[in-house]
Amino acid sequence: MNQYSIVIINFYWVKVINRQLALGIESTAHTWSVGIIDFNGTVISLVNDMFIPEKGGLHPVLVREQHLNNFTQVLNRALSEASISIKDINLIAFSKSPGLGPILKIGAQVSRLLSQLLKIPVVAVNHCIAHIEIGRLMCEIEDPLTLYVSGGNTIISAYESGRYQIFGETLDIPVGNLIDSFARDVGIPHPGGPKVEELAKKALKYLALPYVVKGMDLSFSGLYTATKRLLESKDYGKKYNIYDVAHSLQETAFAMLTEVTERALAHTGKKEVLLTGGVAANKKLQEMVKYVSKEHNARFEVVPLKYAGDNGAMIGWTGILRYKATGGNILSDTQINPKERMDQITIPWRNKGI
Amino acid sequence: MLEEIVMEKIIHKGAEANLIYGHWFGKEVIFKHRIPKGYRIEQIDRKLRVNRTLNEAKALIRVKKYGVNVPQVYEIDTKNSTIIMKYIRGKKLKEILDSLPNKKKTQFLREVGKNIAILHKNGHIHGDITTSNIILTETQDIFIIDFGLHDYSDYIEDKSTDLHLFKRVLISSHGNDFIICFDAFLEGYREGYGPEKIDECKQIIKNISIIETRGRYVKKEDRI
Repeated sequence: MNQYSIVIINFYWVKVINRQLALGIESTAHTWSVGIIDFNGTVISLVNDMFIPEKGGLHPVLVREQHLNNFTQVLNRALSEASISIKDINLIAFSKSPGLGPILKIGAQVSRLLSQLLKIPVVAVNHCIAHIEIGRLMCEIEDPLTLYVSGGNTIISAYESGRYQIFGETLDIPVGNLIDSFARDVGIPHPGGPKVEELAKKALKYLALPYVVKGMDLSFSGLYTATKRLLESKDYGKKYNIYDVAHSLQETAFAMLTEVTERALAHTGKKEVLLTGGVAANKKLQEMVKYVSKEHNARFEVVPLKYAGDNGAMIGWTGILRYKATGGNILSDTQINPKERMDQITIPWRNKGI
Repeated sequence: MLEEIVMEKIIHKGAEANLIYGHWFGKEVIFKHRIPKGYRIEQIDRKLRVNRTLNEAKALIRVKKYGVNVPQVYEIDTKNSTIIMKYIRGKKLKEILDSLPNKKKTQFLREVGKNIAILHKNGHIHGDITTSNIILTETQDIFIIDFGLHDYSDYIEDKSTDLHLFKRVLISSHGNDFIICFDAFLEGYREGYGPEKIDECKQIIKNISIIETRGRYVKKEDRI
């Protein structure tokens, strides 16, 4: 071994030893996820465990049961994939809001416990903000208007006067919930989104469905009832088929989302658009939002699928940002808050230009 | 030959429609053209544009009856989803409100409140009362424009929602003088609603604070 390679190896070890790592725990709904990410934003490992209901939607008790059974395995796998020990972690971050109470509690309890045992700081993170922050990191985007569409949230948000302000949101059910519910009605198992998208491609005609945009807010529950009626009608299978219904549902819901996005874009004058959340995987929606972004000369980015859905890496990264700006939370500040809105939270790290 | 209908220049590009300045049989007009949107399919696009154009034009014509200052509609072109209406020469309240002396501010906001009350009293909901949608002419008259989100309703809830939106706009765009502005607005509103329906008016104003506590994810204890 010559002199140079020793220097390089030394340099490498210094880098490895000096790197600071955060452990992000995501536990708001069906996904229990652990991500390990370093303080510069490199994801070292990410392991997900998803609850898939046999029938119906997410029953909090059953989800909780599965997460309680699996969380140590997921944690250990994330650590072994990163080839580190739990003692190498410098910061714990977990999702404290919004989500299902019993499930948020598991994440909070595990995180507090780890933080006490390892004597490292803990940071409580808002799930919706984490979605935006990981998008900014992964897409190298500065100041986007974000359309966040998932099974639990439908929010159009942008950063203004110190907060992620909500410009538009759903007044009743989220769009992901709409698609999942429709999928269940036609007997498609969870997750229904990708299959509904496939069905819609074979459609031959559009059926009129209610289109409800109130200012910048959206309402999907009437749309859901109308599709349900279409499926129960005696014309179903004769005058139109499942492909047409899926197509009409998607076209209507996505046109509503795109219209509101465009309004928010015109209103805020942002030059970047970020599409994130589970429904962001839908190509049709991507196409439509891309279209309006282009019309307003805004750069359009979709968060890579791995980081668009619920994941621990985004929690870890947001935890890092908050930790760098204001330090860790004291234990009494790590209460869960299942119904916290993202516009209630100040964003200290954006002011400093991180 | 005299050209009867001339579109001259686009003066505003909205998310939904373009406003084009021009002339129509010698009159100064605005063409409000709802543009086709390429992202949605033809059936949705057509239906939305035609319905919204017709609804807006109908509303503009109907509220004229109550003496509210709105642009005169000259022609409705559903084929191109365009409304041709009178051009109102003046400034948006948004642009000038902050530079006005307090006395003028309260005077104009009272006037706005009065006009909105007349709309509400007769079952018209504007749907998008913002300071950008109020024009102050050179003759110091208030004009209310953009009835794109107009709706008909006699529910207290809908009227309060309308006022709540205006309150939010005042807070976010004109925060410094919010209190005097909104107080003057409400004063005008009460005046416009008239003494015979004073109970309803009180309920509407009271309901604004109820709406504020009701947003998604507001604590159960705070709900009324």
